[in-house]
Amino acid sequence: MQLPLRYARGSWQHWAGRVLLFGGVGLFMYRAVTEWSRSGLGLLADALIIAIAVTGLNLITGYTGQLSLGHAGFFAIGAFVAAMLVTGKVWTPFLDDNLWTPGWTLPVVAVVCFAVGMVVGIPALRLKGIYLALVTLVFTEAVRAFFKYDRFEGVTGGATGIKGFNYLPPSWTGLDGRADLVKWFFWLALGILILVSILVSGLVRSRIGRAMIAVRDNETAAAVMGVNLFSIKTVVFGLSGAIAGVAGALFALKLTLVEADVPIFGLFGSVTLLVAMVVGGAAQSWGPLVGAMFYVFVNDFARSVGEDPSNAIVLGWFVDAGTQLNGLGGVVFGILLILFARFVPLGAVGTAKIWRAKAVVVVPKIAMPAVAGAATGAGTGEGAGTDETEAATIASTDPEADEAGTAT
Amino acid sequence: MSGAPLLSVSGLRAGYGPIEVLHGLDFAVSEGEIVVILGANGAGKTTTMRAVSGLIARQGTIDFAGHSIGHAKPDAIVRGGISQVPQGRGTFTDLTVEDNLLAGGYTVGGSLDEDLERWYGVFPRLGERSDQKAGSLSGGEQQMLAIARAMMSRPKLLLCDEPSLGLAPLITKELFQVLGSLRDEHGMSLLIVEQNAGLSLELADRAYVLETGSIVATGTGEELLADDTVREAYLGVVS
Amino acid sequence: MSLFLERMVNGLADGSIYALVALALVVVFRSTGQLNFAQGEIGTTGAFVVSTLTLSGWPVWVSIVVAMVVGLLIAASVERVVIRPIEHRNPGAVIVALIGVFLGVNQLNAMIWGVDARRLPSVFPDGADDFVTVFGTPLRVARLGVIGVLVVLLVLLFLLFTRTKIGLAMRAVANNQESSNLVGIRVGGVLVLGWGLAGAIGVLAAVMLAPSAGLSTTLMLSPFLLGSVAAVLGGLDSPVGAVVGGLIIGVTEAFIVGYVDFLGADMLLPVMLVILLAVLLLRPSGLFGSERVERV
Repeated sequence: MQLPLRYARGSWQHWAGRVLLFGGVGLFMYRAVTEWSRSGLGLLADALIIAIAVTGLNLITGYTGQLSLGHAGFFAIGAFVAAMLVTGKVWTPFLDDNLWTPGWTLPVVAVVCFAVGMVVGIPALRLKGIYLALVTLVFTEAVRAFFKYDRFEGVTGGATGIKGFNYLPPSWTGLDGRADLVKWFFWLALGILILVSILVSGLVRSRIGRAMIAVRDNETAAAVMGVNLFSIKTVVFGLSGAIAGVAGALFALKLTLVEADVPIFGLFGSVTLLVAMVVGGAAQSWGPLVGAMFYVFVNDFARSVGEDPSNAIVLGWFVDAGTQLNGLGGVVFGILLILFARFVPLGAVGTAKIWRAKAVVVVPKIAMPAVAGAATGAGTGEGAGTDETEAATIASTDPEADEAGTAT
Repeated sequence: MSGAPLLSVSGLRAGYGPIEVLHGLDFAVSEGEIVVILGANGAGKTTTMRAVSGLIARQGTIDFAGHSIGHAKPDAIVRGGISQVPQGRGTFTDLTVEDNLLAGGYTVGGSLDEDLERWYGVFPRLGERSDQKAGSLSGGEQQMLAIARAMMSRPKLLLCDEPSLGLAPLITKELFQVLGSLRDEHGMSLLIVEQNAGLSLELADRAYVLETGSIVATGTGEELLADDTVREAYLGVVS
Repeated sequence: MSLFLERMVNGLADGSIYALVALALVVVFRSTGQLNFAQGEIGTTGAFVVSTLTLSGWPVWVSIVVAMVVGLLIAASVERVVIRPIEHRNPGAVIVALIGVFLGVNQLNAMIWGVDARRLPSVFPDGADDFVTVFGTPLRVARLGVIGVLVVLLVLLFLLFTRTKIGLAMRAVANNQESSNLVGIRVGGVLVLGWGLAGAIGVLAAVMLAPSAGLSTTLMLSPFLLGSVAAVLGGLDSPVGAVVGGLIIGVTEAFIVGYVDFLGADMLLPVMLVILLAVLLLRPSGLFGSERVERV
């Protein structure tokens, strides 16, 4: 038997592999919902929310190569807009009391953040690398300052923030009000993450996705080949901002409180998202989830190492601005960023893919080695002779492997 | 002239990452000689220059003035007496002409005033523009500057990487006259890699022909100028 | 008039801090083309070192010098150990690594010195009656002192860059690394020196700021941000631009707080964002920066 084994795309072995992967993850999620404690499930829900935000970041930074430190800003906008809508701070003619149902804040947040994202994307046209990173960073902190501003206190809550709202599970879910609150957010976050991931995956495989990757790898060449830089950069920034904003809305609804002076809404938040993206793997579909889970669980562990383990309440550590920020966790993540930038630029998922490709590889049917009678193309991988090198070459240009581009 | 060559290279291998560009070169430069290595694009000319100057990893033997420099660092090689005029001039564009020259004399202790005077004398146009930023000079002037800068380190051997690149024919003629005078009036030895066969072979005492990383011919300048293969390949003359 | 002058001086004093940060960023950018994300945090570390030393009874000036050396060593190590290996292989990933250094140093500071704020003694006399009267306005000596430090540093840097061999080498390396190798400059050493210098300047900035702002792990977060804006505004490769940018931001901040009623100090960043965007969109290389032609 010769490694790597080659299977045709669409063959039963390919599908079996997918079923195995998704099944495994599904099983894990099922067990989490049914067996984990409330705090554990809450952490998982947090991870899913972060994963959504990282998916957004991945879109503009991982696939399109525009380093954004602004996604904490979109996250914040989403959180605040949701809170403002739900507590009736935004005048809405068709609602009595201006009170929005929480579910409907999500699409509104998406639209608002999309618009803001498109505007933020405009500087990306002229600015490269460091400059863009800095402008987006200033954007994040400017957003935070904006929501903290005491003159807007009536609407945005100013320094004290907005409290006293929640998102109870609707009756059709069969979940029971406050008792199942964490479960509800778990399902909600999971559902949205799946939705967003499918959206992003589809986008990446489309012409737009190829244009994005072209922009990342060589902008001038892309422009010369007809990629409309303006539309790509602004629209993709908008989309990525919208996704991060929705994550922010979920965050706010789950925490039932938003206040501006909190690490995740500023520079540290953007850094958090970047860490998750880099560790999970930029330009990978599973990267955001892996990275977010890693971040949330390791951070929680680090925190409990530093203080009493009993206090791991959902996202509580995000809220304590600096006073309970566990230094150890931060140092570990800082070192990880450095190590990953140096040694693991493809992230955990990207590297795992490379290892897996040493054992098993999926190739287009046409690249399958000719085995007598296997004209249907659904042959097994045990080829021989010259076809192997051909299959190997084609395998190496397999778009699935291609996703594993450079981190930034 | 002493018996042993000033620069003696044998079995030189060098490349970039997994790609080997030079597959074992042998060549030498004696004192007071101008040696030309002729080669087309991609032959490995710049790689050869970089290898001798220590900018890239290399294998093989490189002996200079009795010392083995095959593993020496770039700054040690400069101090040892080899200076390079890189391809494309490589002037410090944001620095003034004078600062460029002073930078060239970085490895020299003591005052550089005499050296400055000397080279302003050889290149009066540089003296006129001594306070101008190097980036604002014309191509020909920058080439002169690059040569003068290389001479500031008081080298015994001057490496020139495609000095005629991008220069008008008239300027190139002037340039080669300057290179010749460096040998005749200043006692320099030169190793020049070039694509421009006509002028360089006329100037050369000896020459080698480099093709895709290997030396395929050698002889005096006149011999190679008269050689049919060389004439066809590099001078466009169909015999 | 007197309020104006006082605000001006305060603005210039804060602006001097931003200018120092911006200068350090420019020193690094000119030699290596990188934005030193960890600039502020290394400064904070230095300020904490000063605090620890002075609490143990060391004289302030000596502590500052020691802290600057510490800052120099940390920054130099970052260049040698983090930047150089990564830049070699994957230049795009350098900024990610630098963000990692930022995070790591910030949190390390928290681990070592805790998160509570502490007081740092000022180098300059900072008591209630330490002021000079100019045009009838009382100006605090401590604030004037900060401006003075900036001026002295500028002079020293100017002399370094224009009159010394090593300064020439740094300018050469910033312009063309390969040619620098060819004239016998030890490029690696120069890079390390550039970063080290930036680290030391960063510590100086933090030490100047800490007495009035209070020393904690968040000390340099905002100044780093504003210093970066200043550097980019002025043109990342222009020391003059860095200083001008820093002073402009400092003065703008002072005057917004004082005169523009509906904005106030908290809105400084949104205002800065707008200004930054306006400048960059009109002049992508900043006010004093040189146009970089991109070779395709």
